Amino acid sequence: MQTVNSPKPSEDVNLLSLHKKRIKVSDIIWRILIYISIIITVGIFAIIILYIIINGINYISLDFFTKAPNDSLEGILPIIINTLYVEVVTLLIAVPIGIGSAIYLTQYVKQGKFVKIIRFCTETLAGIPSILFGLFGYTVFCIMFGLGSSIIAGCLTMVICVLPNIVRTTEETLLTVPKSYKDGALALGAGKFRVIMGIVLPCAMPGILTSIILAVGRIMGESAAFLLTIGTGTKMPKNLFDHIFASGRTLTLHLYYMSGNSSTKDSMNICFGVATILLIMVFILNCLAKLAAKGFRK
Amino acid sequence: MNMCLTEKEKKTEHIKTNIKFFSAVGVGALIVLFFIFPYMQIIANTKNYILSGFDILTLPGVEIAGLDKTAIIKFSTYMKASVLLGAISPICGILFLIFKKFRFAGISFAICALTPLMSLINIANIKNQIIDLNISSNRLYIGFLWPFFLILIGGLICSVLSLWLRGGEKLAESVFFCFACVSVGSVLFVTLYMALSGIPAISEIGLFKFLFGTKWNPSKQVYGILPLILSSIFGAAGAIIVGVPIGILAAVFLSEVSSKKIASLIRPVVELLAGIPSVIYGFFGMLVIVPLIRNLFFDLTTLDGKPIIGDSLLAVIIVLAIMVLPTIISTAETSLRAVPISYREASLGLGATPTQTIFKVTVPAAKSGILSGVVLGVGRAIGETMAVIMVAGNIANMPELLGSVRLLTTGIAIDMAYSSGLFRQALFGIGLVLFVFIMIVNISFMLISKRGVQIDANS
Repeated sequence: MQTVNSPKPSEDVNLLSLHKKRIKVSDIIWRILIYISIIITVGIFAIIILYIIINGINYISLDFFTKAPNDSLEGILPIIINTLYVEVVTLLIAVPIGIGSAIYLTQYVKQGKFVKIIRFCTETLAGIPSILFGLFGYTVFCIMFGLGSSIIAGCLTMVICVLPNIVRTTEETLLTVPKSYKDGALALGAGKFRVIMGIVLPCAMPGILTSIILAVGRIMGESAAFLLTIGTGTKMPKNLFDHIFASGRTLTLHLYYMSGNSSTKDSMNICFGVATILLIMVFILNCLAKLAAKGFRK
Repeated sequence: MNMCLTEKEKKTEHIKTNIKFFSAVGVGALIVLFFIFPYMQIIANTKNYILSGFDILTLPGVEIAGLDKTAIIKFSTYMKASVLLGAISPICGILFLIFKKFRFAGISFAICALTPLMSLINIANIKNQIIDLNISSNRLYIGFLWPFFLILIGGLICSVLSLWLRGGEKLAESVFFCFACVSVGSVLFVTLYMALSGIPAISEIGLFKFLFGTKWNPSKQVYGILPLILSSIFGAAGAIIVGVPIGILAAVFLSEVSSKKIASLIRPVVELLAGIPSVIYGFFGMLVIVPLIRNLFFDLTTLDGKPIIGDSLLAVIIVLAIMVLPTIISTAETSLRAVPISYREASLGLGATPTQTIFKVTVPAAKSGILSGVVLGVGRAIGETMAVIMVAGNIANMPELLGSVRLLTTGIAIDMAYSSGLFRQALFGIGLVLFVFIMIVNISFMLISKRGVQIDANS
């Protein structure tokens, strides 16, 4: 049974119903505009998704995923492998550094002006367009470090791209851990490191997980930063380790290059296939992020 | 904590400390030895040159035979300094260890681990010198041998060991400090680098000529980026003009009008729309919006008399409007939801209709949140590259609604791979202009959202 006094948002609707009899022309116009805009929003979404999936679903087959490009079929296995390389290498570098620095900035440093300045810097850098990171990565990693157009250059560029985001979101979740938890553990004689590993990180785990999933999505959807740094290779890796120094396009870049390329037969079909895969991945990542956030609320 | 240890525990503690100490000293001594081991390898025209750190420091240069001439490849003082530092810093580290200055020992070993990376930066310089000898770059290989990697790894191990001698807690703090230094340092480095690398081109071309020149023609050494700036601004402004009303009204629907059930169905749609990669938007625009524009306006021509091909500012605006929509909807909805329910009750109690309440009370109360969403959308629209590249046509005309345009972002993306000299510097100049734009947008976003927080705190 619901108590009468609890202020529920649904009461709002009851209040609205009191005014059903008074109708103004301008009200009706505004209402219509509101409905039109929500229909436009949902409509655009439906058109994009349906257009891509209806065109792409026919071309997707098991061979499309599991074969390298050959005469009969433009398989995308090497491109999927490249994308996996980029994800794994970037996260391996960015996640420890990001979480470590978030821990230092929230647990060790005195919260003062210095931290505020750093927070300002990371916040501004988080909004910088990825093409500028690509420009930076191209001159620094590809040319200055002599890495050339290679997966590792793309990964290092992407590390700088996602690092501010990971630091910021992790900091936010670490700051939500109640101080009393930490004080309790410290009073029992645990060292600071022990408190962080045993109390603070487990409490903040769902939030950190969400930030990592967001980073995975960002890396997968990124293309401008890779355009200048990662090259265009489509070869299968010969050697597990050497492949990170080879050039290799990701799924998004493959879509971009194929869409401008009319010489390969059925390049448009490949584009639709790749786009469908990307959409499915985005959907899965969104669901995962939701699940992690739900765990956070518990 | 050490006070309550038994005699036996003290002994094992002592042994552990000794193990750490001597392994740190041992590995440090090994690193010093690596100074005379083969360090770097240059293969030019099937000839193999192997150099140790000692060689790099003492030899005037390597004699490398090109196709028609032989020249001495010199090492820069920077390279020499980094190699020398790689030998001296572990010696210092060992001395510090012996004198029980563990923190300084850790720092010097860490510097030692950095020196291989420092010499890595110099590869481009050596490569250029050798390419000047007419050796093609695919017959040239410059690489590093195993001591290079061992110095890197050994330096890190020594650094960790010597910091560990100060106790586990201190070690953890130092490691976290290093991570923080890396991320903060990279943030500062990128910012400074973007700012500094754009300045040479602007000073060479002249600020006024660069910003307000109306012709962008790199093959004739004419670098005026006004068309690019205006196209970017018009593109973003158009996207905002189209996207903001739809976005705000959709947010009003989600937070004020619809039932909870419908809102919870539509909200994931908006989130998914925000997560779709930008190339997919570009691809969609290329296949649907561009042909649509071409077919709608097929009997018109642009100002130069060229036929409408569909790749145009209008297509850019439509694609960008779709892309900023989710940003605006989600920020506007969040701030509309944050408006206290008492505001609405008061307005309804005074006899206003629900719609009047929404547009006269709720939306104005959420003004600063909505505005910061709009500013965020502007940032996203100005910075977007890949979706725009596929629909803009990429010809550096002055912006015209149905004509092909080139934006700041697409200018960088298209030309970077094959540009050189002043052309490349001009692209960095464009990068700097874009950077300044985004900074202005970001700072105004921060000011607006801060003001929003203050208003919420007062109410």
